[in-house]
Amino acid sequence: MLEIKELHKSFGAKKVLKGISFKANAGKITGLIGKNGAGKTTIFHSILNFVESEGEITFADKKITAKTYQEIGYLPEERSLMPKLTVFEQVRFLANLKGLTNHEIRKRLEKWLVRLQVKGKSEDKIKSLSKGNQQKVQLICTLIHEPKLIILDEPFSGLDPVNTDLLKHIILDEKKRGAVIIFSDHDMTNVEELCDDLVMVNAGQVVLDGDIRFIRESFGLTRIFVKTAVPLEELQQMPHVIEVSVTKQGNYRLVIDDEKSGAAIFDKVTGGSYVQTFDQQPPTLNEIFKLKAGDE
Amino acid sequence: MKQIGIVVLETYRRQVKSWSFLLLVLSPFIFLLLSFGVGYLSATATKGNAEKVAIIAAPKQLTQQLVVDQKNTTTRYQTVATAQKALSNKDLKGYLVVKKTAGRLQATYHGTEKLSQTQSSHFLQVLAAYQQSLNLQQAKLNQQQLTALQTTPQLRQKVTHVDKNNDDAVKLVSFMLLLFLMYFILLTYTTTVAQDIASEKGTKIMEVIFSSMPARNYFYGKILGTLSVIITHLLIYVLGGIAFFLMAPQLAITKKVFNENHELITKVLGNLANLNLLYVLLGVIIFTVLAALCGSLVVRPEDTSKAIQPVMYLVMVGFFGALTLGQTDDNLIVKVASFIPFLSSFFMPIRLINEHPAGWQVGLSLLLLLASTVGLSVYVGNLYSGLILQTDDVGMLKSFRRGLKIK
Repeated sequence: MLEIKELHKSFGAKKVLKGISFKANAGKITGLIGKNGAGKTTIFHSILNFVESEGEITFADKKITAKTYQEIGYLPEERSLMPKLTVFEQVRFLANLKGLTNHEIRKRLEKWLVRLQVKGKSEDKIKSLSKGNQQKVQLICTLIHEPKLIILDEPFSGLDPVNTDLLKHIILDEKKRGAVIIFSDHDMTNVEELCDDLVMVNAGQVVLDGDIRFIRESFGLTRIFVKTAVPLEELQQMPHVIEVSVTKQGNYRLVIDDEKSGAAIFDKVTGGSYVQTFDQQPPTLNEIFKLKAGDE
Repeated sequence: MKQIGIVVLETYRRQVKSWSFLLLVLSPFIFLLLSFGVGYLSATATKGNAEKVAIIAAPKQLTQQLVVDQKNTTTRYQTVATAQKALSNKDLKGYLVVKKTAGRLQATYHGTEKLSQTQSSHFLQVLAAYQQSLNLQQAKLNQQQLTALQTTPQLRQKVTHVDKNNDDAVKLVSFMLLLFLMYFILLTYTTTVAQDIASEKGTKIMEVIFSSMPARNYFYGKILGTLSVIITHLLIYVLGGIAFFLMAPQLAITKKVFNENHELITKVLGNLANLNLLYVLLGVIIFTVLAALCGSLVVRPEDTSKAIQPVMYLVMVGFFGALTLGQTDDNLIVKVASFIPFLSSFFMPIRLINEHPAGWQVGLSLLLLLASTVGLSVYVGNLYSGLILQTDDVGMLKSFRRGLKIK
């Protein structure tokens, strides 16, 4: 388990982190979300000891030191490799630093190249690979030593849908292996799809923390999706309905201020007869994000 | 330690495997080969006797004595007429006619250009000796008078203290070699290391590396890796030098020069292979660390030349200072500079070559240099993460201040 307690960090007079605390558990994926400049990268950098911060960071109940580095796999936000090296030379250098022998690296690399469907051989120069394949090589560098703590900073940026799905599967496999996985992303769909837990930071403080399902439900079942013949104007006039819009699928999306009013709305829109869709849900993560980050 | 070793190896591999390193190592050899080649070609390109002086001497026994060497003189022409013809056909540089008239030798040189200094002294020397023997014959002296005339003065040398370094040529050559060696290494490798670091700075690969090992250790590995490259570079020259040392006495082209300067070469090597090497080594490390610091202050590799300027100025102060003041005896500036880290690598070796500084002075100077090298390395090592992980182009000073804040 990764545990962060009361993390503070200032750059000069600017306070970037103001008492951040959260836990990320083994075998679970924790999403770290927040607006640009909220402090996500500084949290990652503090975990990785790139910056000295006040507070306590422990992994498996021990402080993160040089010895712990071998248990960490880190994928930075922007991809960057050494273009003049071959794939093997690049992976060897980074994996050697993580304690793997050349023999192990060679064996594991070939498996990973197949698993990630990299179009290129281990002896190809990095610069000869496409951008997408370079990203895959970078992912191999992050995961080849089977880290116990995986930090992924916006791992899906720049990936096409096929590779996004491939990466999602890899992340889920790493979860099954029992790794602590913490990742940041601006796309809430990915976060919602993959994460078990969520930590939302805003202006250097944790504003939401916990199981993603409970977090959503804590905002109440205030969204209703319905397919009905009742006209939009009539829906807008109903008690407790704040907003009505039409989704791409042609359903009405009602925002209500009291989840208990759902039953009355159900009676009204169905009139005791069949409706194709009636779904009462909590707000989406995107909505919660906008709500909490103050963009609305 | 293992991780530092990995970085040393990687830095070493990357630099040694590059074309620029190969060119750097080979450039002096290429230059030497070209010089020798051009010299050899120009020497052999002149066909036949075109550069030779023909000797036409009346007393036949003189002819062989007047030959300086087969390359520059010839005895092929027996008469003035044939030599004259050869000269007009540009087959000869000139010809020397020696006649004996009334017991006096008269030598006349005819040519398209003047005799060389060596040739004219040789001819004069041989002719003077022969004239002397003619004079003695004509004087009809008895044995006793002859013996008395042949008495020569004696010069004896009684040296009480043999000073191995008391040889101006040895000092000058040692001094120049050491100075230019330092200058060449520093100019080349300070730029290389600064450029390498500047090209890494701000790239996310550094974050990946620093998530595997402390930035401080990576920095030490980088410096040691560069040092290994420098040592390899020097080792290639040392091996080349040894090969030359062994081959030079055998090769016709170098034999004469080598044998004439054998003592000088041995003494110069003795001057270089002592404490001076330690000064060169520590000097290279401290300058490399400073260059690394400068390289870490810029974001773009193309700004390296700007970033490295303070290091270059310091190298130039050391180099030109040593070049100007190095040969002046008992100079106060040289003495003071031999204790100042960075400059001491240029100035203390001069003192070690030219005089015998007291042991405590050498010890103190070395201690100061060593302490500064270690101190600067630790300081930059601790700042390294903060300096390297910055990606904003905010200028060198601001970048340095930010680096201080981050850590």
